[in-house]
Amino acid sequence: MLILGIETATEQVSVAIGGHEGVLAMFQVCRGRRHAETLIPAIEFVCKQADIEMSEFGAVAVDIGLGLFTGMRVGLAAAKAIAQALRVPMMGISSLDLLAFPLRQSGREVAAVIDARKGELFFAFYRPVPGGVQRLGEPRCGSVDDLIGELMARGHDRVCVGDGALRYRDQIAAAVNCDFAEQYLAHPSAAPLVQLAHARALREEWVNPWEIQPLYLRAPDAQINWSTRQSATKGGV
Amino acid sequence: MNVSESTVVLGIETSCDETAAALVMGGHDVLSSVVSTQVDLHAQYGGVVPEIASRAHLDLLNPVVARAIVEAGVEPERIDAVACTIGPGLVGALLVGVSAAKALALTWHVPFVGVNHMEAHLYAAFLEDRSLEMPLVVLLVSGGHTMLIEMRGHGSYRLLGQTIDDAAGEAFDKVARFLGLGYPGGPAIDQEATRGDPTAIAFPRAMLNDGLDFSFSGLKTSVVNYVRKNPDVSAADVAASFQAAVVDVLVTKARRAAVAVGARGLVLGGGVAANSLLRERFVAAGEADSIPVFIPSRAMCTDNAAMIAAVGWHRLGSDGPTPLDVGALPNLRLAFDD
Ligand SMILES: [Zn+2]
Repeated sequence: MLILGIETATEQVSVAIGGHEGVLAMFQVCRGRRHAETLIPAIEFVCKQADIEMSEFGAVAVDIGLGLFTGMRVGLAAAKAIAQALRVPMMGISSLDLLAFPLRQSGREVAAVIDARKGELFFAFYRPVPGGVQRLGEPRCGSVDDLIGELMARGHDRVCVGDGALRYRDQIAAAVNCDFAEQYLAHPSAAPLVQLAHARALREEWVNPWEIQPLYLRAPDAQINWSTRQSATKGGV
Repeated sequence: MNVSESTVVLGIETSCDETAAALVMGGHDVLSSVVSTQVDLHAQYGGVVPEIASRAHLDLLNPVVARAIVEAGVEPERIDAVACTIGPGLVGALLVGVSAAKALALTWHVPFVGVNHMEAHLYAAFLEDRSLEMPLVVLLVSGGHTMLIEMRGHGSYRLLGQTIDDAAGEAFDKVARFLGLGYPGGPAIDQEATRGDPTAIAFPRAMLNDGLDFSFSGLKTSVVNYVRKNPDVSAADVAASFQAAVVDVLVTKARRAAVAVGARGLVLGGGVAANSLLRERFVAAGEADSIPVFIPSRAMCTDNAAMIAAVGWHRLGSDGPTPLDVGALPNLRLAFDD
């Protein structure tokens, strides 16, 4: 089965086509135009170069976050629309899982860390298991100090991966003993996305497009600020 | 590109707080029009919250598109093009619709057409009355806009006047919030005004005898000052008098514009066009001036995707498909002739 993978959860746009042989084609760019401008032409390009028609896809896989909301929704909206138009199922996979998966052979625990902006990070911990990685506990949203606190508490030799880890590399390295994955692994990619999705497809672990739910882990600002804003504007127009 | 009476366009609209999809044939025959409003999600905040709107569009768009196709009674293969609002609007909200619409067009191998939301409001009237003759004067009044536009032909517009500060719909929202009437303000004031006396308070009619531009921020301030000085005033009287002042200005200027350009028709559009008094006074003005007046149904005045599909059909015919590398254009303006 051919799977289209779409990934836009960080500043990178990534599209891949996967089959039982693995990754057949991919496109990846983390600078230049914005997600909405890049994504659909990228899908068109990858299909054309791989000589694959859209109608050949048996499933659509998408990164459901955590990540930057606006860009993430560009990928989700496109992926859901394609799956709906093709009448095929979907797989939603977390961006933190996508960061950790390429480090499954590192033999160490992995800290996957995404830059959430506004001084915050999304992070989760993984341990290698045969054929992949297993997440330890729930993903969190917190400051770099929260991350360092967790790293210290866990106390293992560890490799950190992700744009969040690189952004705060000096601060983290000064506090705890750990390695950092290569820069080219710093964004979740559609390559591990289609690999993981293919394994799920074999187990028929898929959902309908309307069942795909993004991970936000942060309430809209309006809900956070509502109580303060309400008292500030009371009686005003 | 060739479009015909049998060309079916899927329209998609996600620029603000309505998630909408529609199928329109030949640029005017509405096969289906589905609108899912998020108004309840935003009501407690007294206005549209962009992040909440974007999240809701993502959840709602697939089912809304699916329903529009089912209600039209056609197979998806019958869709010849996908049109979607690319601006103006909230950027995060627009991006959900634009991304999905381009993805559908790519998957179905049909053209994509990016549509200007303001132009779509101008076309709403043509969905219900094809006999309209140009030039037309369109009064476009919504939460974001107050404009008088001369429509000289398809795709040919001239801006006659616009608000220099608040939009009319914004004034309704702010006054409704001040009076504690809730959100959205338009329907709330419309409702409250039915129990009040529109002549009770003489609120100012800003710039009434002065050109075709509008100003509503002074009126809002007058309402606030009046209520602070007269705390026992009935909210119904304030609502009725405020509404009368807004409608007075809108109707007076629309009539003047119609005379100035020798319009063959006067058309109302935008969310505020749902206001009962405005509709009533517009019809009366047309009778008094012997000029044909057309007021779209409330469903076509407020945001919907049928108007997007209608413009999509016209623009596909005149300009061809929009490239798939277009993004959302939150500050997109209507292109005027001069
Ligand atoms: Zn509108």
